[in-house]
Amino acid sequence: MRMTGSRRPGGFLALTAVLVVAAPVRNAEGGWRLADSPAEVAGGVVVCGAFDGAVAAPRDGVQPRLDLRGPVRPGPEYYRFPMVSTKRVPGTGNASGVGEVSFSSSPYGIALGTDGSYRYDFTVRFERMGPARDGTYVVWTTTPELDRIALAGELTDPASFSGEVAWNKFLVVVTLEPAFDPDATMWTGPIVIRGMSRSGMMHTMAGHGPFEEKNCAAYGYE
Amino acid sequence: MMKALLMTATTLNGRGLAPVAAMLFAGATAALVPGTVLFLAVPPAAAQQMDHAAHMMHGMDGGWRMPPMDPNMPMIPGLEMALPPVEPFLAAAGIDVMTLPEARPSEVVHLEAGDTFNVDITIVRRTLRGHTAAMYGYNGQYPGPLIQAPQGSTVVVRVTNRIESPTTVHWHGLRLENRFDGVETLTQDPIEVGESFTYELHVPDAGVFWYHPHMREDVQQDLGLYGNLLVSSPDPDYYGPAHREEMLVLDDILMDDQGFIPWGREAPTHALMGRFGNVMLVNGVTGHGLQVRPGEVVRFLMTNVANSRTFNVTFGSARVKLVASDLSRFERETWVSSVVIAPAERYVVDVVFPEEGEVAIANTIQAINHFRGEFYPHVDTLALVTVVGSPVADEMTEAYEMLRGIEAVAAEAEAMRGHLGRAPDYTLEATVRVRGLPLPIIRSMEMDTLYIPPMEWNDAMPMMNWLSSGTQVTWILRDLATGHENDGIHWTFQRGDLVKIRIFNSPESFHPMNHPIHVHGQRFVVLARDDVPNDNLVWKDTAILPVGSTMDILVEMSNPGDWMLHCHIAEHLSAGMMFHFTVEG
Repeated sequence: MRMTGSRRPGGFLALTAVLVVAAPVRNAEGGWRLADSPAEVAGGVVVCGAFDGAVAAPRDGVQPRLDLRGPVRPGPEYYRFPMVSTKRVPGTGNASGVGEVSFSSSPYGIALGTDGSYRYDFTVRFERMGPARDGTYVVWTTTPELDRIALAGELTDPASFSGEVAWNKFLVVVTLEPAFDPDATMWTGPIVIRGMSRSGMMHTMAGHGPFEEKNCAAYGYE
Repeated sequence: MMKALLMTATTLNGRGLAPVAAMLFAGATAALVPGTVLFLAVPPAAAQQMDHAAHMMHGMDGGWRMPPMDPNMPMIPGLEMALPPVEPFLAAAGIDVMTLPEARPSEVVHLEAGDTFNVDITIVRRTLRGHTAAMYGYNGQYPGPLIQAPQGSTVVVRVTNRIESPTTVHWHGLRLENRFDGVETLTQDPIEVGESFTYELHVPDAGVFWYHPHMREDVQQDLGLYGNLLVSSPDPDYYGPAHREEMLVLDDILMDDQGFIPWGREAPTHALMGRFGNVMLVNGVTGHGLQVRPGEVVRFLMTNVANSRTFNVTFGSARVKLVASDLSRFERETWVSSVVIAPAERYVVDVVFPEEGEVAIANTIQAINHFRGEFYPHVDTLALVTVVGSPVADEMTEAYEMLRGIEAVAAEAEAMRGHLGRAPDYTLEATVRVRGLPLPIIRSMEMDTLYIPPMEWNDAMPMMNWLSSGTQVTWILRDLATGHENDGIHWTFQRGDLVKIRIFNSPESFHPMNHPIHVHGQRFVVLARDDVPNDNLVWKDTAILPVGSTMDILVEMSNPGDWMLHCHIAEHLSAGMMFHFTVEG
């Protein structure tokens, strides 16, 4: 019964190699296919490298108006992260957003689950999210490895959404679904916009090696 | 595998790993592929098979020994032979440890108003994890004597210093007369070796308090100088009914296979993150256990006396009722899944273990592996509860199911909440300044600050942390209105003032870290965190401040004198993170 020790998950490289990701992305023909890797889901998010606190300019050169340093709601300003459009869903190519986390209510000032993971309230705020065509937007949270996915709710307000998450590293993913299914366990439609928690940047020591072909600091902004 | 690693490095750039690392640390990062760091790019499998034998090549003669490192973590190039810039210190060096008296478990001392109790601070012999070594003890006990006194009384404790260094005794949480607060130079002269000091302890508040040195806590407290003082309320219903009370004094100590890792003689080591131990202690021992009956209401009186570690204490699947903290009960009792307890904090919880079996009281955390950039679950059993015997099902068990509201606290809290809307009287920023750290540490830290966790639950960088000393690191509390820092700050208040202090833990520093903020001689409530009002107030003397967060506290300046406000990570305190204020009247 005595327990002392750690349960280490496999390394980032191993996880990347073994996970089959069921995230739909646009294929070369303009249709939809499943994402090949977690990185493809998180690809538009600043997941590594320098982060200057501002949303980078999208490909069309239009500067988003949301400022990561500006007040959105009370909370530890440091733990903000950008929401980045996949540019793959009509009407959302110029969408952008900001995500914030704060600790869930706790008598200690720090909210933890029984496994020691942080329990966060998160809020994401969007700009220039066109109305959903042929369906509705649905918000999900997932781990970077996509091995755990939780339905957060339907995005009824195109400007903001608040939910809860109990993972130390997580992504907020908005998808276009035919309809909102409160019992859904996995998205079926395309990803509209997504963001990774600031903690996703904590992979500098071994998560990226010299074998990466892409400049991770510019990942998603090129 | 090391050979394979070196071959990898050679293949990549035609040079060996060490030159590459040296180039990197010399600031030549531009020569590498953008966004990559060569020496950090070791595949996890390689890292796992590294050993740290080379780390032990120095210090085998009783000098410095490097703290044990997780074998999954690689050695940072350039630090293989590095040592802290201070001399190593172990208690009673040169003395045959077997000539020292063996320490004994804590004894309970009931004091009534006016009673006098003598405490000798002595060098004792302890055996932990099979290693026998010198430690310190209050009256030769671990923890020190459990002193019990009635609320409102004044008791006298006469302390005599028989260890090898000057010391004082701070009575943590007591709103006592200033001259007995035990702060070196501020309220008293050090108690020199062989000398005595008599403390008169007035105890106006009921609750769990504790006592410890206020000189080089990083050494003396870690070596065993801590004990509890329980102040009992005259109200028999102060707490809900419970079948029994158990002390849980949480600590950790840093050891390797030769014994204790030495401390810094002139200044603390581990100045960046504080000294995390790798051996967990409850009530001064490893393997603490207790036996209870199913259904018994067990009240745990918890104190964290560790230098730096914040615990997340879980009780298996048992229900946990949070009842009280430092200086009072909560407005409302609540069910919790764990107890997050920072250094110097106290919590009172009632727990029922419903079924027979063994339950681990554990520190359950998501630790950080910086090398692999991941959180990973880590569990340390702190104590084992054996649940056995016939079930208990009486009125206490029934009462346990009810959550009580505490009207007296709620009434005080309501008045405190009137200050939520007003601007802070003072705003402090917590940050850090470093100088003279080895360049590899600076480079590694700079690369590792894209994300700073709100809390450090484990020593994720033991080598860098160990090498940082109080001579190189200055932890800072800065008054944003004046720019004054640490002992340059001096605030003056009148007795009865309610002072709102906002403390912001800046993430924009060399190495941000959580800080348990302690106010001497007064009591406060945490009004809000990150502008979110606290809906269940409790009187505190210590509260944790995560990185990036803002905490608004309302301090009731009820006790005249010169008092300290500081971080209760022992190494941060020694590294300057403190100032004092005056309450007049």
